[in-house]
Amino acid sequence: MFEIIKKTLQTGCQTTKYPQTPDFAPQGFRGKPEFIAEKCTYCADCVKVCPAGVIWLSEKSGEKTLSLSCCGCIFCGRCEEVCKPGAIKLTQEYELSAKKKEDLISSIGRKL
Amino acid sequence: MKTEIIDTIKKDFQENILEESISYNEIYLTVKKESIVKLCDRIYYHFDLPLVSIFATDERNINGFFKIHYVFSIDKNDAFIILRINVDGKNPGYPSITYKIAAANWYEREMQDMFGLVPQGHPDPRRLMNFEDWPDGVHPLRKDFDIRTKPPRVNGEYIYRHVDGEGVYEIPVGPVHAGVIEPGHFRFSVAGEPIINLEIRHFYTHKGVEKLFENISIDKAVFLSERISGDNSVAHAVAFCQAMEKIAGVNVPPRARFIRTILLELERIYNHLGDIAGIATDVAFAFGAAHANKLKEEVLQLNERVTGSRMLRGMNAIGGVRRDIGDKKDEILQKLSIIQRDFRKLMENFTSTPSLMDRIETTGRIYPDTAKGLHVVGPSGRASGLDRDTRRDHPYAAYPEFNFKVPVLKAGDVLSRTIVRADEICESVALIEQALWALPERETRVNVEKIPDGHAFGYTESPRGETIYWVRTIGNRIDRCKVRDPSFCNWLAIEYAVLDNIVPDFPIINKSLSLSYSGNDM
Repeated sequence: MFEIIKKTLQTGCQTTKYPQTPDFAPQGFRGKPEFIAEKCTYCADCVKVCPAGVIWLSEKSGEKTLSLSCCGCIFCGRCEEVCKPGAIKLTQEYELSAKKKEDLISSIGRKL
Repeated sequence: MKTEIIDTIKKDFQENILEESISYNEIYLTVKKESIVKLCDRIYYHFDLPLVSIFATDERNINGFFKIHYVFSIDKNDAFIILRINVDGKNPGYPSITYKIAAANWYEREMQDMFGLVPQGHPDPRRLMNFEDWPDGVHPLRKDFDIRTKPPRVNGEYIYRHVDGEGVYEIPVGPVHAGVIEPGHFRFSVAGEPIINLEIRHFYTHKGVEKLFENISIDKAVFLSERISGDNSVAHAVAFCQAMEKIAGVNVPPRARFIRTILLELERIYNHLGDIAGIATDVAFAFGAAHANKLKEEVLQLNERVTGSRMLRGMNAIGGVRRDIGDKKDEILQKLSIIQRDFRKLMENFTSTPSLMDRIETTGRIYPDTAKGLHVVGPSGRASGLDRDTRRDHPYAAYPEFNFKVPVLKAGDVLSRTIVRADEICESVALIEQALWALPERETRVNVEKIPDGHAFGYTESPRGETIYWVRTIGNRIDRCKVRDPSFCNWLAIEYAVLDNIVPDFPIINKSLSLSYSGNDM
């Protein structure tokens, strides 16, 4: 019993102040993937390799749109790995909750 | 021993052997269907080789047959003997071996549901994975079953084993449970407090993973294998990658093999810490649970800093690993030494707390002969006297280069399983230290563009026990991928472990066996 009390006092408080104080994910964390619009060539390499199939390319009236949904993304980083121009990057962002599925979709587009 | 076994079998069963082939450490013998019971009996009992898996393949489009593979492991020689029988596609019956070898029970029922192969003489031929609302004659793993098929629901009934008698009550538990865990039904028959019978029923969320493997490209399949059993993702991914690398004839760079070993051991540490915390929770030893959970969280955060993922995902690829972790060496060593010191102290607190020891000593015993008969694997097997560890018996990754002990106890109770885990954590820390100190230089991955046609086993010792993959590739696609998760072997042991125990001890026994729903029900 004495040992347990001693250990409890030694350990002290272990929780952090999150979310009052922000908690940053470490370097190299696999978080939300983001497009860098100016680098993208719309080659659709990322679309082909995505194991979860959450990246898609659509074309409508001469405008190409590349979309990604974090709803279903498994944060494997394959898109980042195959993207030759480096137009998609996994960020340290992890707070991804949303009220609607549509809010989890990010898109970039370009007129041809 | 390997050649002795093969020679004896060939001599005694000469007229029954149709074909023989050897690839890597796998000896395939195609035998006559009628002789399979005798052959399995001889190998299992006379040579004392464990039956590690049974699976079927659908080859009707090639030769009109289903093939059933019976896999035995020669632990002493790092080899496998695979007996194969051909089962006629139009008349898919074959002799059951379950009445001789209990470990074959679920495999045969699985094949009955998935392939429609009928085990003749099976003592319990009820459906296992296809539930009663699934129509007759629809078998998902047959090649002519399209993955998009949505079969109609039909009426049917599942009959449970029934215990009758004065004062005998049934307690149904699940499939929906109190915590955030997966579904499973437990039906207890009790007379007063002691349990006199337990029947488990699982497979409520069958996901068709083996079918999925056949329908995705190989580079995506690595991520699928990672997600079969969430907390054993490295073990599954490494087993899958090793099978593919064997087929492709790729030599994984030494640095990648070392990194894989480190990841596998990190996974073992956080799983075992979580299990020990769970056991403490279930006996209301809140102090121990809090501290074990704190240590587990520290390992998870270390995982995140080292690999970018708390569950160590996305690290493995066919041909090596995707990230180098060499620059994190000091951080890992420092953190693990602190964790180990704290963990040792915590285990002293555990063993000196009578209220905890009273609850777990002699609770949930799995006797060595039961464990052997059901082929219980992993820490649960080792706590019941089964001295088997894939890391030592079928060395892979960088394990042949390190020293480690395999703790084995005989009592088979919750306490033994806790101690085996505690000892394994210390061995894992020592393994990671050895690997980090000897980490070879240079590349971490070789590029594998195309996988040739072939088939091979991949295996690892996950925190729960031996995990076995058998993969066959045709035309750079997966033709069949059989996954044998340790929980598929261990779940049935719980029916024996709870006998004569009281109902309130069931959660502890369940936790101490650390069974995965997801890995079992793919």
